[in-house]
Amino acid sequence: MALFGKKDDEVRPPAVQAPAAAKAAPQSSQKNTSLDTTYVGKNLQIKGNISGEGSIIILGTLEGKFDLKGRLKIAQGAKIKGNVRATDIYVSGNIEGEIAASERVQLDNTAKITGGIVSPKISILEGAMFDGEIKMSARTAEVSKPASPRPTQAPPAAAPEKKETEL
Amino acid sequence: MEKGKSTGSTSLLSKKVKIEGELKGNEDLHVEGHFKGSIKISGDIFIGPTGIVEADVEAHNVVVQGQVTGNVTAHKQLQLQSSGKLLGDCAAQSIHINEGALFEGRSKMIRSSASTTGGKPDGNRPKN
Repeated sequence: MALFGKKDDEVRPPAVQAPAAAKAAPQSSQKNTSLDTTYVGKNLQIKGNISGEGSIIILGTLEGKFDLKGRLKIAQGAKIKGNVRATDIYVSGNIEGEIAASERVQLDNTAKITGGIVSPKISILEGAMFDGEIKMSARTAEVSKPASPRPTQAPPAAAPEKKETEL
Repeated sequence: MEKGKSTGSTSLLSKKVKIEGELKGNEDLHVEGHFKGSIKISGDIFIGPTGIVEADVEAHNVVVQGQVTGNVTAHKQLQLQSSGKLLGDCAAQSIHINEGALFEGRSKMIRSSASTTGGKPDGNRPKN
């Protein structure tokens, strides 16, 4: 028993030292050691548009548009009002607006989405709230195009009427 | 440099990202990308060498290694490092400019009201 106890102690110290060493690392760099991931903290409110490349993690509030070539993660507690466009979108917070992903959308169990989703791949965990329309067609980049494949000879004002009759 | 009144975490705007709009909050901010609009935070702001800020900035401490076009208000200290460029006015309680920095604008010093002992905020006004 004592031998097993000693062995466990021998095994544990390195594991304990690793997180201690990580904590000893400079406190200014918390989650991202690289400067590639944009991080919007939970006490930050942005009213405006975000565009660019790379990964973004949002914990705060944003009112505006997103146009990103990369991974977007909307963490729990984050509130977004506006259209979101990215390559991958992982949602654990609130979004009011249209979402368009060119690769995948993942809704966590704390996600709340009011608005449409356009994405070739979708995954929704139980507990997520989703009120809107979902489209999984191949052409995900064009959200503004009308859904019906028929050529719209009629003026654009007639297009919503066509959709209603289809439903 | 005294820390600002932030929650302790730092938000980061990375190099290839551009934000246009108003940014407000109670956090520290590290800008490596492009920001256009206005920034008002109660924490510190650090503009890295690739950071380009076309905005009026208001923060507790402001450290500039990149480029700022706009007016800066630092409630504590404004630091312009040797790669920093400030095109605009600044108002700060203390200002530190390293050789090599570019500053074109007007500087105004903010006189602190409670600089001596930590007394009441209504405390001794300078008798002038």
